[in-house]
Amino acid sequence: MKGRRDYVRLSGRLFVPLLLPAILLIVWQIVVSLGVYPEFIIPSPLAVFEKFVEVLGNGRLLTNTWATLSQTLVGLVIGVLGGVVLGYAIAKNRLLDDVLSPLVITLQSTPVVAYAPLLVIWFGSGPTSKIVTSALIVFFPMLMNTVVGLNSVPASLRDLMRSLRATPWQMFTHLEVPAAMPLLLGGLKVSATLAVIGSVVGEFVSARAGLGWLINDARYNFDTPLVLVAVFMLAVIARTLYALVGLLERRMLAWRR
Amino acid sequence: MSHRGSRFLLILLLGLIFGPAVLAQDAPSSQTLFMTFVPNVQFSPVYIALEKGYFADAGLDITVEHGDEPLGVDLIAAGERQLGLISGEQLLTARGRGRPVVFVYEWFQRYPVAIVAPVESGIESVQDLAGRRVGIPGRFGASYSGLTALLAANGMTEQDVDLQEIGYNAPEVVCIGGVDAAVVYINNEPLQIENRAQQGDCGDVTGVNVFPVYDAADLVSNGIVTNEATIAEHPELVSAFVGAFDRALREAIDNPAEAYLLSLPYVEGLPSDDALTAALTTAADEQTAWLADNAGVDLAARAVRRAEILAGLKEQFDSDTLIQFEVLLATIDLWDADQLGLTEADSWALTQDVLLQMGFMEAPLDDLAAAYTNDFLPAANGE
Repeated sequence: MKGRRDYVRLSGRLFVPLLLPAILLIVWQIVVSLGVYPEFIIPSPLAVFEKFVEVLGNGRLLTNTWATLSQTLVGLVIGVLGGVVLGYAIAKNRLLDDVLSPLVITLQSTPVVAYAPLLVIWFGSGPTSKIVTSALIVFFPMLMNTVVGLNSVPASLRDLMRSLRATPWQMFTHLEVPAAMPLLLGGLKVSATLAVIGSVVGEFVSARAGLGWLINDARYNFDTPLVLVAVFMLAVIARTLYALVGLLERRMLAWRR
Repeated sequence: MSHRGSRFLLILLLGLIFGPAVLAQDAPSSQTLFMTFVPNVQFSPVYIALEKGYFADAGLDITVEHGDEPLGVDLIAAGERQLGLISGEQLLTARGRGRPVVFVYEWFQRYPVAIVAPVESGIESVQDLAGRRVGIPGRFGASYSGLTALLAANGMTEQDVDLQEIGYNAPEVVCIGGVDAAVVYINNEPLQIENRAQQGDCGDVTGVNVFPVYDAADLVSNGIVTNEATIAEHPELVSAFVGAFDRALREAIDNPAEAYLLSLPYVEGLPSDDALTAALTTAADEQTAWLADNAGVDLAARAVRRAEILAGLKEQFDSDTLIQFEVLLATIDLWDADQLGLTEADSWALTQDVLLQMGFMEAPLDDLAAAYTNDFLPAANGE
């Protein structure tokens, strides 16, 4: 009986996430079949699948997916490291907080798309400008989450550590890092998806490869199925990165359960 | 109910049924005109038609919207918009992908793309570009088509140059030496680079060489585009718009100072201090008088006259103040022709060949002639 219940529960967990995409696919096909919009505006799922197979077969999809993914990952690492390091410094230093916080908040509220063309001029049309765009878009949420995470450590716990004569390093490793970890990982989850956006924004401005470039190319060639294939791949990258951070979160925060 | 009362109800009922239809006949047709880029003095014919009420006289209530070209083509193809200013090669690519869009008026008679190279680069001909770094906004759109046609006309291909995608940043990238040459719009970036060079604000660049595409290939450029359904169901709408646009375009060509002044309410940041406005107003009045005395002058005489107007203004104002007026004049050179709006079969065939060579079209259109028409030209309508 218990085995059957587990089987049903497992099937449900596997099936439920697929339910919404399946419904969307059916609605999509119905909209196309009813001819609400011409097929050049909303192509059929089959046309998109055929395009997917075509660009997968000729290597175009993988080449451009790798370009975006590699830029995204490098940008993510740089942005996360930068955000955490500066965030720690700001959380620990009142003067630095007073000096940098207004600037950080201002920059954070400036859409990266507004200054992305400048980044292309400064760093060239190659991968560097996309990595910088990606790193910048990741940097601010990581920084903010680090500051908030460290500031959220209860004062009573700090007092306890001090009463136990903990060194600064012990304070860092045994109190601050574990206490800030939920917020840091929350920031990392958001950053993983933002990094993809940063990369694509850079590719939209100017690029030689990448899924953003592929979307632009497809749009100027009026190849709507290819646009949708590239969008689908972007969604897959973002979802995969999000899931990987989710796994990391489960491992690192296992002590909380 | 009394006899009077029932008559009143009958009139009210008829009014409710037919009133909106009668009102709709008299009300101007509301249309959103799709244009690429951003508000710019290069769209002055539209601003003239709006300011002088030519659209309104034609029964049209026109609102302008800007966006990128593929979006505009799709909106027109889907019938969400009826009219747009779109390039010929985009229209052909779109028709190749099943979009029922049609070109009805060739606004730019000469293709506006060129390659610009600093004189210091030593590039003095298209052949000199071999192996050199050439910047381009991207491998799409008019710039890419123009480059392909220009290289092909000189026995070269894209593989002969080191093509670098730089976005729409040619002046900056050329000035910092990021590329040896760049594909640009001939009526804009060369002037901007030269202006910066004159002010010592362009690195080592002191001047530029310009290689226009139109010297090598007669490609179809920007024009008025609509869709097949509008042509079939509302040809009067297309005629009305084309007629009003044509009238405004002629006036922009004839009197650029007036065109500039009428563009001011639409183009943010267009230089317009009191002195410049006064000088342009004087120039516009003088040009009106000159036109009255010189009706029917030819294309060359109009160009000479425009150059004289610019020379006069240059004696009073610096290049920064006049840069957008110069852009307008350079653009007018691309518009002016013996017969405005006329689009020719040979240009379409050549444009299609270039698109096929670039791989933007997989096969020639079954019926290339269906992509364009001269039926709506005011002359063709006997206006």
